[in-house]
Amino acid sequence: MFDNILSGFSAILAVGPILGIIVGVVIGITFGAIPGISCIMAIAIMLPMTFYVDPIIGITMLLAVYKAGIYGGSISAILINTPGAAASFLTAQDGHALTKAGKAGKALDMSLFASVSGEMLATLVLILVAAPISAISLQAGPIEKVFLLLFAFTVIGSMAGESIPRGLLSCCLGMLFAMVGMDSITGSSRFTFGIDELIGGFTFTPMLIGILVMPEVINVIRRRKVPHHELAITQSPNPADNHISFKEFRGVFRTILKSSGIGTFIGALPGLGSSTAAFIAYGEGKRTSKNPEQYGKGSVEGIAAAESANNAVCGSSMIPMLTLSIPGDDVAALLMGAFLIHGLTPGPMIFFEHTETIYAIFAGFLITDLFLLGIARSGFKFFVKMASLKRYFIFPCVTVFAFTGAFTAGQNMDDILVLIAFTVLGYGMRLVGLNPAVFIIGFILTPFLEQNLDQAFAIVGDDYAKFFASPFSWVFIALSVFFVYSSMRAKRKASKIPAPAAEEKPA
Amino acid sequence: MKSTKKTLLSIATAVTMTFAAGAAMADYPEKPIKVIVPWGAGGDSDLTTRIWADAVEKELGVPVVVINKTGGGGVVGTSFVARAKADGYTLINAGVSNMMVTPNFTNTPYNFDTFTPVVKYTAVPPAVVVAKDSPYKSFDDFIKGAQSKTVTQGSWGASSSGTIMANIIANQSGYKVKYVHGKGAADSMVSVVGGHIDSAVSFPPAFGPHVKADRARVLVMDQKMDAFPGVPTFADYGIKGSFGGWSGVFAPAGVPQEVVDKLTAATAKVMKDPEVLKAYENIGALVDFRHGPEWVSDLKATYAIYTEEAARTSKK
Repeated sequence: MFDNILSGFSAILAVGPILGIIVGVVIGITFGAIPGISCIMAIAIMLPMTFYVDPIIGITMLLAVYKAGIYGGSISAILINTPGAAASFLTAQDGHALTKAGKAGKALDMSLFASVSGEMLATLVLILVAAPISAISLQAGPIEKVFLLLFAFTVIGSMAGESIPRGLLSCCLGMLFAMVGMDSITGSSRFTFGIDELIGGFTFTPMLIGILVMPEVINVIRRRKVPHHELAITQSPNPADNHISFKEFRGVFRTILKSSGIGTFIGALPGLGSSTAAFIAYGEGKRTSKNPEQYGKGSVEGIAAAESANNAVCGSSMIPMLTLSIPGDDVAALLMGAFLIHGLTPGPMIFFEHTETIYAIFAGFLITDLFLLGIARSGFKFFVKMASLKRYFIFPCVTVFAFTGAFTAGQNMDDILVLIAFTVLGYGMRLVGLNPAVFIIGFILTPFLEQNLDQAFAIVGDDYAKFFASPFSWVFIALSVFFVYSSMRAKRKASKIPAPAAEEKPA
Repeated sequence: MKSTKKTLLSIATAVTMTFAAGAAMADYPEKPIKVIVPWGAGGDSDLTTRIWADAVEKELGVPVVVINKTGGGGVVGTSFVARAKADGYTLINAGVSNMMVTPNFTNTPYNFDTFTPVVKYTAVPPAVVVAKDSPYKSFDDFIKGAQSKTVTQGSWGASSSGTIMANIIANQSGYKVKYVHGKGAADSMVSVVGGHIDSAVSFPPAFGPHVKADRARVLVMDQKMDAFPGVPTFADYGIKGSFGGWSGVFAPAGVPQEVVDKLTAATAKVMKDPEVLKAYENIGALVDFRHGPEWVSDLKATYAIYTEEAARTSKK
């Protein structure tokens, strides 16, 4: 394995891949930092362009956008209390409190170091466990995958935001749209209403851009009267407030380790994503902290907990995609598309068949972390400038890129119609409080569930005991039950103690 | 006298028109040619067509652009070309799936007669494959096994080329299998190697790596290949019919014969190019250049076999 990683490094240390990583990191931080557009949009828009370059360059570039974008979300969270990405919601509480205290530099430093450490650790875990897991995952056939997917749906249901019914409804809508088109098993057309163009179903990239990107543009148009925030780093006269000292970093190192662990674990489970990881790690950090009363009021430890956890997800969300060929979230689904278009089929075989490419990509992930550290550290001012660009400069560009991105993926005018239709749907969902991210997860996972369920039934035949014969199945059944139980307990706790969140918020 | 004049006039008109038409078609091609591949990039059909397009482009002197228009088991892209103008500038990548199987087994807006076959460049012989530690050492073992108990076989959809081929083989050999449908030949190979299903119908690009790494065994194949020595063929077991996978190019019906001739001549030239042959060998495809009336009547005969099979299975 180590010689594989070494040869991966030699493949990645070339002009093309390094340039790709630099471009990816800059775009990622910029998109992440601008409130209203997240890194997933940057990835969706850039995806078709990566088809024209080498897979090593293309995939590392997309992942660089992802990692840098999740980090970038913390910049605007800290400076103007508006998270650029949903995963930085908690960072906003502590980070902005520090900004108000004139310690913005400290908060930004902490967030960067925590993000990079979290990512590094998760990437190392990915590299170390992916190949061994893929060897075991050959044993996970359709039956085991059905239980894994049922677990993923359980998790989405119990974790989706404040309202479980709304989360379930969003997920079901996603499942419904995933079923449009020719059924891959019987070959019959479903929900096509005699329209030939619908036989192929909805194309993923235009749909994703329509659901996630364009409604945000409409939102900006609607709120154009809202005053514009100018972002600036306030320099404190006390130099100790402008950066993080080694002592402070060592003080929160245990929190970073633990949160990275939590983030890595959450990321490896399909369906959860970086926001959930940040919430769980933040809660856990607060529970075990020496100064829990500081959390939410400008605790560097809180920033460390949230940021290392949400960034750890970037690395580990690749695990289910690469070993089981099941994408755990929207970013993984987009990246899976990037793998497929280059003829690399994610799944247990990728480690045997494309050893060199996959380890070069892994090496690229590690190098991305170093570039993120370097670029973000030296370019704070630049990214803050970019993030405070006027909205009427940014969003017309976003619209153009959204439409070209939707078109270039398939060179098909129908995809533009798909984009427009889902823009309307996505905006409508937002108006009635449905969750677009959960919709996307439902859309992604449904074809996998359907296919594996069909295969499982074919294999099982009349012998239904076979369904429960595998230990893997029991692991996922147990996990599902645990998640339902723990989310119910959390809900009951929340209803007993009225609004604990209100106490945490700075007055 | 009057009639002579009329005859002369009509002959003159006919000659002029033929000449005019000939002059117009002599210019073919004068703009880029689009070849629609109804499958995703990187697959068997896509790779073979891209090699062909890159090669004939130099002969024809205009860009030959490959466009992937995927979805609906090949129906979306194929219907698109069926509706296109028959001027030779929009072609379809044809294969056993979109030309033979789908129009017979599902309700498609096109059929075999909607297109004019132009050329076929490669063949991919199907095979029955099992895992290395499978109890079935030979196809005879497999037939006996499948006759006495339920044996699962990987394929890609109830009316896909894989299942239809497998059905014809099973029907003629007198056994039955239970299908487990995956995303494609490569997907079912993972299930075979992981021990979740007993066997799979598959193609060399999909099973080749597993056989080379000694994780899987080929029991029987459509035709001999140097890469897999000692494997018997379907003919050795008395199985009739040509149900191999293949890849070629069709044009919408009504395309001028000059277009077909020009494309055929260009293809004939590049199929002798050692670089093109090497490119096909690298992706595991067998070069099988066919064109002309004899090939078209072979295609029609195979189409009839599938029509029969469709009638047979729909009766049940």
